[in-house]
Amino acid sequence: MTVAASPVPPAAADELATVALALGRRFAAGATLWCVAPGAPHHARHVAVEFVHPVVVGARSLPAVAVADGGDPVDTVRLLARPGDVVLAVGPGDDAGLARLLRRGPAWGVRTVLLAEDPVPGIPVADHVVRVGEPDGGGALLAYHLLWELTQVVFEHPGLLRESDAESESEAGGGACVTCSDEGRLAEVRSIADDRTAVVLAGGHEEQVDTSVVGGVGPGDLVLVHAGLAIAVVEGAARP
Amino acid sequence: MSTEPTAFLYPFIEADERDAGPLLDDLAASARAKMAASARLQAETLERSRAEIAAAGAAMAERFGRGGRLYAFGNGGSATDADGTVARFRRPATGHALPATSLVEDRAVLTALANDVGVDVVFARQIIAHARPADIALAISTSGGSANVLAGLAEAGRRGLLTVGLCGYDGGAMAASGDLAHCIVVRSESVHRIQEAQNAVLGALWVEVQAALAGTRR
Repeated sequence: MTVAASPVPPAAADELATVALALGRRFAAGATLWCVAPGAPHHARHVAVEFVHPVVVGARSLPAVAVADGGDPVDTVRLLARPGDVVLAVGPGDDAGLARLLRRGPAWGVRTVLLAEDPVPGIPVADHVVRVGEPDGGGALLAYHLLWELTQVVFEHPGLLRESDAESESEAGGGACVTCSDEGRLAEVRSIADDRTAVVLAGGHEEQVDTSVVGGVGPGDLVLVHAGLAIAVVEGAARP
Repeated sequence: MSTEPTAFLYPFIEADERDAGPLLDDLAASARAKMAASARLQAETLERSRAEIAAAGAAMAERFGRGGRLYAFGNGGSATDADGTVARFRRPATGHALPATSLVEDRAVLTALANDVGVDVVFARQIIAHARPADIALAISTSGGSANVLAGLAEAGRRGLLTVGLCGYDGGAMAASGDLAHCIVVRSESVHRIQEAQNAVLGALWVEVQAALAGTRR
């Protein structure tokens, strides 16, 4: 008999539980789940059909959408996602394109989940990173099946479906000021007001920031904002 | 839990629940149990179907060797598994790239057929349009009873295609028909666990095809 080893490491069970609770709470608050898997769009479609048309008769239909329109998922999700939504990505843990998408979560006010195939770097690129083992090893399929099953259980606990204030607040977070180690917030540049002011999106809300420290920024650039001042460019707008 | 027979007596308890700790523990334990069950079912299925998978892989390789194409199809999650399988055959990390097409890929064709004729013909009509006798029909169903999947397989059989079917539960009508060249049943009552084991079977099939081709082409 073959040794029955799960493609998903057992340690990932705790993270899956955390994600299921967050997902249930977000759905209860009206969120849409955006599913992205650039290298394997069938995963994104599978997640969407899992939630929209559950295999278990009587289970609620939940809004999940596969983002597989052939365009840059950053542009599509930016356009479609609302603050409070959730982005679930499936792909290699070290995928630069996925990191570029997931890093924008705090600016857009969306929660991000990565079902990460090996290799998975030490620095997490999403709010939740679930290790799913080798690509093509069946781990991603198992992980999103479990996520669906666990989320159904969360809905049986109505008292726990309300997010704490602290959790909602954390959506605006991300990073720290590089000069004073104080809190910094990730923001995405929407438009340039003048040569020292830009309109940015931070935590899903628009605000004006002073850009004189970082100099020339453009729409789509990801910046770190501290006390109304853009203090660093985290990532340019361009696709690598 | 709402499954407690006396739960109806205390409806306020769940609504007032505030500490998520116990729920998180339950969820993690449930995930670990399901992960173990999934791995067990995969191992059992691969073990029990080893000969069938090897035979199916060899027969598929023979069809590819004759210039045949693979047509994969299924509904819902199985449709995405068909897409994933086609991607694996077309763009393997290693080995031979092989001609494979998903019959769920083209939504213009799918919606035209479903709207004009009915959902039962969405695969059969595409088989009629595309298939030649050297080709392969690979059908994926968890119930083994999807009418459109069975119709696609029947049409493929009539046209001389190699028919390979994956199904779950007790195999349903797909296994009962006895018409398929190769039928692999995942014996489980859970759609999720069935799909996970079917994914392992699809991976094993791909390995068998590649091994057979490596043997003949060397």
